[in-house]
Amino acid sequence: MMVEVTAIIRRDKVAPTMRALDAMGLGAMTITTVSGRGLQGGNVMTDLDREVPAEYDAVSKITRNLTPASFALVHSLTRPVFWIPKRMLQIVLPSSMKNEVVDMIMSVNRTGWMGDGKIFVSPIDESLRIRTGERGVDSV
Amino acid sequence: MKMVRAIVRPEKENDVVLALEAKGFPAMTKTHVFGRGKQKGLKVGPIHYDELPKVMLMIVAEDSSVPVIVEVIKNSAYVGYEGDGKVFVSPVTEVYTIRTGEKSEG
Repeated sequence: MMVEVTAIIRRDKVAPTMRALDAMGLGAMTITTVSGRGLQGGNVMTDLDREVPAEYDAVSKITRNLTPASFALVHSLTRPVFWIPKRMLQIVLPSSMKNEVVDMIMSVNRTGWMGDGKIFVSPIDESLRIRTGERGVDSV
Repeated sequence: MKMVRAIVRPEKENDVVLALEAKGFPAMTKTHVFGRGKQKGLKVGPIHYDELPKVMLMIVAEDSSVPVIVEVIKNSAYVGYEGDGKVFVSPVTEVYTIRTGEKSEG
């Protein structure tokens, strides 16, 4: 049996994730450029990924419970962002490797900030390698 | 859990997203796709358009909220002409939130 692991992750985490997957012997994947909005419905600043965390460290020592959104408000960074650019990785693999791969993706991608992404696991009924005609687990 | 994939007109994207948000489904993923339907594209005079731009919205939700989501998309993406799009529902067995490691099944 095969499963498809769909991971929607930050753009700058694609390379580390690919390296980690390579080390597990999983070279094959499909990467799509997507836009996402999570439970927060977008965000209030453009450069959450790059600019804020360093500054946030200093500020969060004084005010512990500052969310990224309220940080943006306090610092007049209120530029609402409706869609946040993300990358979607789709990997089809034998279901025996599922837990290992999911744990690996989570450990590589976790920053503790909103927007780390989601992983979806869904069943795949059939798989076929076009060049050789192999079917099923042999083809992934 | 189910994944609802809606392929809609690009100009209707905002209507669909706002309608879904109003019903309490703000989280989704969007990607720009090209496709053609049963009509094999669009023919305007001598010119044949084979790949028509569409927006694909992907929403993962509990089984019980799928009918609501489909209904909302059906109403907000409707124009009444060929090319309004399709909605596909497929199974998702597990969902993980990377930030917390939280897992939901079913």
